[in-house]
Amino acid sequence: MSRIGVFVCHCGENISRTVDVEKVAAEAARIPGVAYATDYKYMCSDPGQGLLKKAVAEHKLDGIVVAACSPRMHEKTFRNAAKSAGLNPFLCEMANIREHCSWVHEDREEATEKASAIVEMMVARVKKDRKLVPITVPVTKRALVIGGGIAGIQAALDIADAGHRVVLVEREPSIGGHMAQLSETFPTLDCSQCIMTPKMVDVANHPNITLHTYSEIEAVEGYIGNFQITVRKKARSVIEEKCTGCGVCSAKCPQKKIPNTFDKNLGFRPAIYVPFPQAVPNTPVIDREHCTRFINGKCGVCQKVCGPGAIDYEQEDRLIVEPVGAIVVATGFELYSISEKPKGSPIKGYGEFGHGTIPDVIDGLTFERLASASGPTGGKIIRPSDGKEPKQVVFVQCVGSRAREKGISYCSKICCMYTAKHTMLYKHKVHDGQAYVFFMDARTPGKSYDEFWRRAIEEEEAVYIRGMVSRLYQKGDKVVVMGSDVHVGVQVEIEADLVVLATAVQPRAGADTLAQKLGISYDSYHFYSEAHAKLKPVECATAGIYLAGACQGPKDIPDTVSQASAAAAKVMTLFARDELEREPIVAKVNERNCVACLYCKKVCPYGAVEEKEIRDRQGNLIRVVAYVNPGVCGGCGTCQASCPSKSVELDGYTDEQIMAMIETL
Amino acid sequence: MTPAKNLLTYSYYPGCSLHASAKEYDESTRGLFKALKIGLQEVPDWLCCGATPAHNVDELLSLSLCAKNLALADGVEGDLAVACAACFSRLKVTQHHLADNDAKRTQVEYAIDGKVNLAKPVKHLLEILAKDFGLDNLAAAVHKPLSGLKVACYYGCLLTRPPDVPQLDCVEAPTIMERVIAAAGAETVDWSHRMECCGANFTLSRPGVVLKLSGDILQSAKRAGAHCLMVACPLCHGNLDIRQKEIEEATGERFDMPVFYMTQLLALAVGVSPSKLGFDSMIVNPLPLLREKGLV
Repeated sequence: MSRIGVFVCHCGENISRTVDVEKVAAEAARIPGVAYATDYKYMCSDPGQGLLKKAVAEHKLDGIVVAACSPRMHEKTFRNAAKSAGLNPFLCEMANIREHCSWVHEDREEATEKASAIVEMMVARVKKDRKLVPITVPVTKRALVIGGGIAGIQAALDIADAGHRVVLVEREPSIGGHMAQLSETFPTLDCSQCIMTPKMVDVANHPNITLHTYSEIEAVEGYIGNFQITVRKKARSVIEEKCTGCGVCSAKCPQKKIPNTFDKNLGFRPAIYVPFPQAVPNTPVIDREHCTRFINGKCGVCQKVCGPGAIDYEQEDRLIVEPVGAIVVATGFELYSISEKPKGSPIKGYGEFGHGTIPDVIDGLTFERLASASGPTGGKIIRPSDGKEPKQVVFVQCVGSRAREKGISYCSKICCMYTAKHTMLYKHKVHDGQAYVFFMDARTPGKSYDEFWRRAIEEEEAVYIRGMVSRLYQKGDKVVVMGSDVHVGVQVEIEADLVVLATAVQPRAGADTLAQKLGISYDSYHFYSEAHAKLKPVECATAGIYLAGACQGPKDIPDTVSQASAAAAKVMTLFARDELEREPIVAKVNERNCVACLYCKKVCPYGAVEEKEIRDRQGNLIRVVAYVNPGVCGGCGTCQASCPSKSVELDGYTDEQIMAMIETL
Repeated sequence: MTPAKNLLTYSYYPGCSLHASAKEYDESTRGLFKALKIGLQEVPDWLCCGATPAHNVDELLSLSLCAKNLALADGVEGDLAVACAACFSRLKVTQHHLADNDAKRTQVEYAIDGKVNLAKPVKHLLEILAKDFGLDNLAAAVHKPLSGLKVACYYGCLLTRPPDVPQLDCVEAPTIMERVIAAAGAETVDWSHRMECCGANFTLSRPGVVLKLSGDILQSAKRAGAHCLMVACPLCHGNLDIRQKEIEEATGERFDMPVFYMTQLLALAVGVSPSKLGFDSMIVNPLPLLREKGLV
């Protein structure tokens, strides 16, 4: 006969508001095999855990059911308490009477009845729980950082400075990300290049960092401490080891008129190029789509002029396999565009703003390139259509953001501040110019942020108009902005020379594909999901994978750098141990019954099932059975559900246990 | 009478304007459909859709008027063809509103003393021509291409809005009018005021507002190099055509810009006699332009 203890938690009022917890405890005490049952206001608190430990000793308990919240919240807490009371931690289970009961029901009587039923089911399960011993796995002390923007750079440098090896993978030919494109940064107006490029150089020179630019993640296998990643190093057509970065190839390339995407297509670049002069690595790449050599074979100038002989037209993509123990995802963002979206797309464009066909309507990042000293105009603010200096500039905030009718409900967080910054940069360069800003709200929560915004209005004379813009259209060489001023209650029409749209921050295209490779979750917009919005803001629900920067949600530079350092700290915590304990909730094969149909192998999402040969002492093959690698098994139970001969079972979730639970109902 | 050999047949809700101030819209619609061999049978005993006044005063009245019309249309074969942008909007809004509002639906059913039937597709003429009949078939039916005629297609407020209701085309940047008239060989201009309000009913209470708003539209069309405007709404037509002289006096700018109903131009292109298209009831005389382009 078992001696099980049942502890019913009030969770403050979260449970006791709807569930009669005293009654649940009293009912539990009557279940055969339950030696002790009680209730307490906060079971997870120190006195609550103390209650549990004391009861184990006093009542000689051999199993525990804590009826409280979801096991995702506190299973670990109570298993640790059970362990310190001398019990095998896997003999402690949680009955979820909060998320599964009190939060979703209103009728007190019915909810109480359901809570009692849940408790009784868990008691039946604990009776058949086995003592389990955690599996230990080694930790590969090497981290992968995906994305070489400021988030990835900060995380990589922190981890590398702690003495661990880092593999940094960047999709573009250079690291730097969006921050390298910015002119000056709020709230201090220091030049982005001046604070960014030294960090890029640090990455290049760091002995612990292996940098793969122009590369993408091909595949990810394994689990915390033991990932195996495959990186596709795209063919650069330039041998990195030989190239000295002299730049002769770019200077001599006859193709000169390819729109420069780094400059938001404001300028041009050759077919063999580095994205910007301060690029790291300073190794060019051939844009095969536009290179004459690759189009019709009729060039070869760069190969002729290259002194070190670094040009290799035959180069192919290479796949590099790297073992790593932890992964930091820092893939960043891209800006929403107002262009027409495909039919059926949940996110819509702005037909009322001309769908991006008016040349002097640009986005914030394009304005950054115009204002940047290293930009295509050398920092001179001119309009794209005719190169004239704009004397009236209208900035429009919340384009795409907070626009439910366009399919995006969230606030992009950075636009209020960067628009205020843009008005200042504009005023500093065009003294007789006038900036107007259409805004819904000015959201400036941050150190020195509100002061910065006020400065834009009070000192730099930006005119802020509270209201939305309904339409933009070209009239002669002006762009007419039609909007409303809700403070005055009138319609406003401004004939602008240039219009700058603060468009929404979106995750990178393809963020969902990468998430599927990594096995991490994402929201409906494809921002990556953290494990807990408040208490686990950098961890993914998938162990060993951490998030940094705007791939998790819109973020400015200070927040991004903070999160990147936090992710790095989490990686260092993981790497502080030589071995990791893994939950022993893994599937086991009953080799006597298994007929090696290997259905389990087909359905296993982790690739944990292997074929095992059983041989006699002479080495003759007797038969083949399935084998589950406990290091790889994720404990999902899919194999158990699919096995026709009932030969594979998940510890803690055996058929016997599940049947016993059902029988209590 | 609907000839049996017609491939497409529609029930037809003309609405009040088409029996009065916009008679030429009605005549040209019938002429066009006859020439294209599309059947059109007017719903017997139809009522006013309530237009702008009804829904401003009493929502139930507005919904009930349209629900009654939908019920009447049920007795006539074919999807319901509507020419007037306001009638089209009211009928679509009613269907949209009652589809997910059971309480309102019960009230309306009580008011009209009958069942509300939302199943009948309500289609604007543009939709019928572009989607059901098809632009290729339309182009093939053209005898007299409108070559050399630069047309500014004017949508006004109601053809595509509010979002998700008419589902005629892209809400803020539609192209359906341009596609239809281009099939008849006309040249269309890219202009800024395709979707702006003409001032609508303010034409009676505050004509000054209409002079400004409709004036902006005429200016924009002229700036873009258009010879004429093409509309699908009797009220817009009134403001842009009848008020054009006043606008010219107020702005001191001469427009001389004929305002056609889309069916007038299309009917002309498929060979309907100009004498049957009501050109004589337009205030800004279109004949000099049509003569210049060799179309009459």
